[in-house]
Amino acid sequence: MIKRGTTAAAMLTPATLMVVVFLALPMLLLLRYSFNRYVPGEFMVEGMTIANYVSLLSDSYYLAGLRTTVLMAFGVTVACIVIGLPLASFIARQKGSLKTLLLLAIILPLFVSNAVRAAGWMVAFGQNGVVNYLLGAIGLIGSPLTLMYTPTAVFVGIVSVNLPYVVLTLQSVLEGLDPNTKDASLSLGAGPFETFRLVTVPLVMPGILAAFVLSFILTMNAYATPVLLGGPNFRMMAPMVVDEVLGKANWPFGATLSFILMAVTLVMTIASSMFIAKRYNYSE
Amino acid sequence: MVQGKTFAERLGRFSVGFINTVGLGICILPLILILWLSVISNSVLSLPAEGYTLNWFAEVWRQPQFIGGFYLSTMVAVGATIIGMIVTIPAAIVLVRKRFIGRTAIMQLLMSPLIVPAIVIGASLYMTLVELEVRTGIPATGSLTGFIAGHVLLTIPWCIRLLTANLAGLDEIVEEAAASLGASPLAVISKVTLPLIRPGIVAAAIFSFVVSFGNLEVSMFLSTPGQLTLPVAILQYLQWKIDPTIAAASVMQVAIIGLALVITNRFVNLSKMV
Repeated sequence: MIKRGTTAAAMLTPATLMVVVFLALPMLLLLRYSFNRYVPGEFMVEGMTIANYVSLLSDSYYLAGLRTTVLMAFGVTVACIVIGLPLASFIARQKGSLKTLLLLAIILPLFVSNAVRAAGWMVAFGQNGVVNYLLGAIGLIGSPLTLMYTPTAVFVGIVSVNLPYVVLTLQSVLEGLDPNTKDASLSLGAGPFETFRLVTVPLVMPGILAAFVLSFILTMNAYATPVLLGGPNFRMMAPMVVDEVLGKANWPFGATLSFILMAVTLVMTIASSMFIAKRYNYSE
Repeated sequence: MVQGKTFAERLGRFSVGFINTVGLGICILPLILILWLSVISNSVLSLPAEGYTLNWFAEVWRQPQFIGGFYLSTMVAVGATIIGMIVTIPAAIVLVRKRFIGRTAIMQLLMSPLIVPAIVIGASLYMTLVELEVRTGIPATGSLTGFIAGHVLLTIPWCIRLLTANLAGLDEIVEEAAASLGASPLAVISKVTLPLIRPGIVAAAIFSFVVSFGNLEVSMFLSTPGQLTLPVAILQYLQWKIDPTIAAASVMQVAIIGLALVITNRFVNLSKMV
């Protein structure tokens, strides 16, 4: 239909150009700025130094932020897999309208912005919030607990954001399994838990790996949830980028943080998909 | 399924049921709580509720940052959707119908805004626009053009994904028949291809609108004090306080996105898209 190469090129150019101009070139600028120096009062000084990368890995202020991010990503992801696997296999076993209802409960929150879902948790965790009210009403606590602006609040908030992705990823893999494998295991005398551990889990391992990487990356890049539930003094990578670039106008350092964040995300995405493809002989 | 009789098996089944309940609760609870806060008559977050009212939804429209945010978000989303469709429809046709060197590379480039963290897209675009502003004197951050440029980027991968999926399901023979009967390439595209992929086009357009309307990370970098999109206005309000008014504003944002998705679902199966 499209005979000439020039026509095809003309049809491809606008979209490609948009991505090159508004994504690829800004990325190069970002990389360049990450080697500049920041002098307070002078904004940005042209330079060719790796000082920003060094201070990111040696300054305790930034190291603490990096550590919080990685620990949070790991903890949230483990929690999501532990909760998500039984939930996904429960949903995969259902049929009819109950299944539709359960899937809706998982898919609907995906389309509600993270800030709004964090606001929901603020209603739960606030000084006068639902949790404190209920604990007070049954006489468990005398004075309200401080739940907001704690790592626990951020943890619950991010689990709530990531869990739907994890459940949907696992559920689609579980639905693709042959039910005979499970029946065979059960009829050969394994209990339901043994069957789950020795038959189902190994079969859904590629799905678990994919869900793990997805949840890890989502946590690394989380912004609204840590800002709203962790408060101004809680530091994770994405809020740190915003703080450096917009708050302190320290572009070189903001660029360095952004670049590390992007590098980790890209390496994890590519490495995991290559690993899954190689280990399980999948082609994309 | 063999029914467990021993204590260990009952305990196992009970804990799995408990985990499932907690999991569903964690997904749904924040939505229920924000909906509840938007209709209570208490003017601040406190319990128990004194009564129920819909007044907070009217209160949202008395707050200038929400009216301005709603207006700007709508303008940006409509602009980004239109430009996104204009650039991605021809690209999707070429990507599906032609085999050429570098096809996979271009495909991956067009999908890349989905892989690069939104915060990084926002930060890099912000620095680029400020540089442009300094060099040329034309205001770029906070301008409609700046917002639309950033948001088109976010819509491109979704459009390419939806359109190529739709095009791949369309038999090329129909197009060849039209061409062999004397239709010019342009006529084939406008009279045969485009009408046949209409569901994909509608879905891509609504999805683009949703992605742009809900975006926080990129908009935050491009916003200036007087020019905020709705998600940025909501975030800034929430950093200050939580009350029934902000809950009502959130519920309205959710309702708009929900409505768009219900319409999209008539054209494509959404559960297959995420």
